[in-house]
Parts: sequence; C-alpha cells; structure tokens
Amino acid sequence: MTAPAYNKPLLDVRGLTIEIETRRGPAVIVDGINLTVGKGETVGVVGESGCGKSLTMLSLVRLLPNKIKVRGGTAVFDGRDLLQMSKSELRQVRGGKIGFVFQDPMTSLNPVMRIGDQLCEPLIYHRDMKKADARKRAIELLKLVGIPGPEQRIDAYPHELSGGMRQRVMIAIGLACDPELLIADEPTTALDVTIQAQIVDLVKELRRKLGMSVVWITHDLALIAGLVDRVAVLYAGTVVEDAPVGELFKRPTHPYTRGLLASIPKLSDERASRLSSIGGTPPEPGRRPKGCPFAPRCGLAEPICHEHVPALLSFAEEPRHRVACFVAQRQMMEAA
Amino acid sequence: MAPANLTAFVDEDPPVSLWRDAWHRLFRNKLAVAGLVIVIFLALVAMFGPWLTPYDFLTQNLEVRNQAPSLAHLFGTDDLGRDVLSRVIYGTRTAFVVAIVVTTVAVAIGVALGAIAGYYGGLLDRTIMWFTDMTMSVPNLLLVVVINASLKTPVTAWMEAQYQATLNPFYRQTVWVDFLLVFGSMALISWPPYARLVRAQVLSIRGRPYVTAARALGLTNRLIIMRYIVPNAVGPLIVSVSAGLGTAMVLESAFSFLGVGVNPPTPSWGNMISDGLRVWQHYPHLLAAPAAVLGLATVAFSFLGDGLNDALNPRGSK
Repeated sequence: MTAPAYNKPLLDVRGLTIEIETRRGPAVIVDGINLTVGKGETVGVVGESGCGKSLTMLSLVRLLPNKIKVRGGTAVFDGRDLLQMSKSELRQVRGGKIGFVFQDPMTSLNPVMRIGDQLCEPLIYHRDMKKADARKRAIELLKLVGIPGPEQRIDAYPHELSGGMRQRVMIAIGLACDPELLIADEPTTALDVTIQAQIVDLVKELRRKLGMSVVWITHDLALIAGLVDRVAVLYAGTVVEDAPVGELFKRPTHPYTRGLLASIPKLSDERASRLSSIGGTPPEPGRRPKGCPFAPRCGLAEPICHEHVPALLSFAEEPRHRVACFVAQRQMMEAA
Repeated sequence: MAPANLTAFVDEDPPVSLWRDAWHRLFRNKLAVAGLVIVIFLALVAMFGPWLTPYDFLTQNLEVRNQAPSLAHLFGTDDLGRDVLSRVIYGTRTAFVVAIVVTTVAVAIGVALGAIAGYYGGLLDRTIMWFTDMTMSVPNLLLVVVINASLKTPVTAWMEAQYQATLNPFYRQTVWVDFLLVFGSMALISWPPYARLVRAQVLSIRGRPYVTAARALGLTNRLIIMRYIVPNAVGPLIVSVSAGLGTAMVLESAFSFLGVGVNPPTPSWGNMISDGLRVWQHYPHLLAAPAAVLGLATVAFSFLGDGLNDALNPRGSK
C-alpha cells in the first residue's frame, strides 16, 4: 500500500476551544486543539476519559450538549468551516460527508425501528433514493460489514442482535452515504476483546476498499497500533503529542504518552507484578493549572512547567512528530 | 468476510417485534383480557347499535310506562314507556363517540405540544408548560358549565335564525351542536396530562444515544421527533389513553347527569342515571341499568389500562 498524500488535509481543526457553563462561570474543557486529518488518512485520537476526545468530535458537527459551547477556533472540512455553516448545510455534512459511529451499540440504535429502516433513513434523506433502492443498498451495506444473512437480518429489531452485530450495523449506517470522513467514537469499548479485534479488522478493510479518512477515538493505544497512520495524544483538552504511529511507539516523548504506553499490560510481565499506572487524575474543568496541564502529575516537571504552557513543536529530524513538553524539547535541542 | 461461526446465530424465524412481545404479556393477564373483551363488546354494541335495538329509542308508548324488566323489554321501560335497553345501547354510542373524539383531539394536542416543549426546551418549553399549567388550573366542571351557559343559547339562536332565513333543514338539527360543545369543552380541558406525560418522556429520550446518532446522520428535527422520539414514548401514552377513554366516558356521564352535557332526548348514561335517580325507590331498574353499564365500562377500561401498563413496561411489574 502506498502512503496516501497528506499534503492537503481533509479536516483542519485549529485552536478549537470548548467551554462548559458551570455555576462558577464558564470552564474550559478543550483548550485550543489543533488537529489535521489528511485525505485517506486514519488518525487515532488517544487519551483517558474526560480529556475532551468525544466533545471535540461532537463539536465538529455541532452536536454538543446544551451547556457546552464552542468558544473559538475553526474546523475547516473540505474547504468550508464547519463551525460557521448554516444549519441546513450542516445537515448535509452530517451523515452525508461525515459519518459517525458511536460508543455504545446497545443504546445507539432506535429500539423501535427495524435496522433496515434505520439504514435506509440516511439514504432516502441524503441520496434521494427510492425505498426499494435504499433497501437494496442497505442489504449490500449489511453484507459489506459482514453480517450473515442480510436479507433476513434487515428486518430485525436491534434487540435481536448481539453487541458486535449491532456495532456492525452502526458502522453500516455511518458508511451508508459513502462519507469522506468516518468518525468512530470508541466503537469497541462496549465489546469483548475478540469482537473488538473483528471490528478493527473490519474498519481497516473498509478503509482500504472505500478510501475514506477515519478518526478513531479510543483510550486503548494497543488496540489501534495496527490500524491508524498517525496518533494524536490528548490530555486535558490539548494535544500533547502528535506523531506517525510507528514513530510514536518507537520514541514516545511526552511523559504522558510514556505513561500511557507503560500502562499497557504485557504478556512478558511478571505474574504478580502490579499494573503500572499514572498517579493522580486529570484536572477538573475550571481548575486547570496555570502551566502545562500535566505538570502536577508529571515526574519530570520543572519550575517552568508550572508557570508556562508549552507549545506543540516539531522534532528536528522528524517534522511530523510534534510534542508539547518543555523537558522533551530541551533534550531535543541538546541532542541536536 | 464474516467469520464462519457467526452464521450459527442466524435463525429463520421472522423477527419478534416489541409489540408482539407486549401482546403476549397482555394475554397472560386474565383481568386485562376480561377488560379487553368487555371493551370490545361495548364498542361493537356502539358500532352496530341501530341494528341491535329491539325498539326505537325515542318512541314513547304510554301504555307500557315504568315496566319492570320482562321478555318484551329486557331492561324494562321508563316513565314515557321507552325501551330502556334501546336507550342504554344508544347511550353506549354517545359515550363511545364522545370518549373517542375527545381523547383523539386531546391526545393530538397533548402529544404535539408535549413533544415540541420537551425536544426544543428553553423559552418554547417554558411558554408551553405555562399554558399547560394554566389550563390544568381551570376546574373542568366550571369550564363546561360556563361554555354551556354562554355559548349554547346564542349558537342555538343563530341556528334557528339561519333556519328561518334559509329553511335549510341542516340548521334544524341541534344534536350535533350539543355534541360539538361537549366535545370542544372536554377536549380543551383533557389535553394537559398528555402534554406533561409526553414532555417528560421526550426529555428522557432526547438525551439517549440513538437520538444523538440520528442527529449525527443529519436528519431533520421533524423526522427525529416523529420517528425516533414519539414512537419510543408511545408505551406510557397507550396506557394513559386507555385510562383516558374511561375517564372521558365518566366525565361525559357526569356532565350529562348534571344537565350540562348531552341534552335529552339524546340518550346518555349520565342523563338516564339522573332521570332514574328521581324514582329509584319505585323503579330501581331505571337507575340500575345505565349505572351498571357505566360501571362495567369504567372497570373494563381500568383493567385494560393496568394490563397494558404491565405489558408495555415489563420492568415495572412483578
């Protein structure tokens, strides 16, 4: 497989800032995220719970919950700023150009609609298909995502399918209109390990077949190692490290990334040894530290880390590897 | 593409819908089945009334006044010699027509307002709920009395004037004006519970992942409300409608009993009970027949409502 051309990004998010209204006033939860996704590229967005992964993606199609608002930044998709679009234009993008796969297949399908009808809905709405044509296409889609007996299953209700099957249906719905970008928000979290692997393989194959871009949100670095081209590590609403996947595993630089990698259990670990973890918890919105958000939990933190926020800077020898850490950047300079 | 072992999960049976599941649970409940049978029976009586009545419900026969039940008059006759069974059957028609029309109108208003209030929230929600609370605060009997007292006379007078002017027999018929006033005033006061119920349902459904998923598909709000939210809110609504039909019948009877509902000679259980009450020491059957049927209908609807509640909310029961 040749490397896709990344020079012209399909999605270019710059300085995206999201705030939540609290009783003590607005609190920043996503702080100026920069993220690009090239055409045909697969990007993994990694970070622990509550670091703003899902909110960032939901904000792109403006589906944030009531009290959460975008305060600044741009999100240019295919030459247009998603955050400035009119509602009707946005509806064309949702489902038509950007497909979503959600976290929980148990609750993300309408329980009173047959899965076929749910699959046909975007086709009829976005592609102006006739009911019979949409049904034909729905059967194809079910076949595409590997559901056996799609002619029968199309009339099933969600509760009649297993979790893995439902997630396949969700993916089929996300893919229905051949989106240019598929955003998968922790699509395997609710599934057991063997099904997780099947779903990852499925998305890999679909991406190759359909040539779309994929953003895969997860907290499981190990799971996406073989799937994505590039990884963006999020911590407390900022990108702390962004690198091609091989580079990231070879040379994890940010202390947080290292912590994440160290907490993946390995078969070679001693049986009785404790699983390694990162001490402390991420800062609450509204109580963000003044300097680097990771500084309070960081073993390498220096006085400057508590005072200033580090910028995301490229490595000299690998410009696609960027990291936001004063200590790592100084070591880079010294090495150069 | 699919792992071979997954094929084992494909069965050839047609999928079982949620509704069929609910039916099964309903049929296991003896009281609910009894309620359903009685409701269906009364509905059939109401539908085929004109073919079932042994006598005309208006024809007076003064030779057979106040007769006790006999083979010729199964429920006896009243003080004008009219056949009570025929009048009870026509009363059933009145009760069903009023209950169905009133409930339909009330549910339509309630579902529309409740769904809009719950889905959009904000100022729209506050305005609609303010309006709902205001409507609920009006005592229903008072409103009906006021509407009857204020509207009935001028409308009837206007109809009479139209008849005098045009001689169109359409204006001679005042029965439907009666019905319209009863329907109208009852529908105006019956919708708030439905609006509140639907709003509460919508509020809880609006945040569910499948609604977010539907919005992420770019579907319009109208489509989302109609296909994702209302169908999921319909279980409690069905229960409430079944109870509401019974309530509407009782309400109609109560209004007619007090003389502000359906006017004689149109038979209603309520005005028959009212007539029977005056002479019940002498002719108890005149009170017993309409009262028994009204009681039967009320009990049947509440059994059915209970059964539906258990069938549609299986987690709540047992």
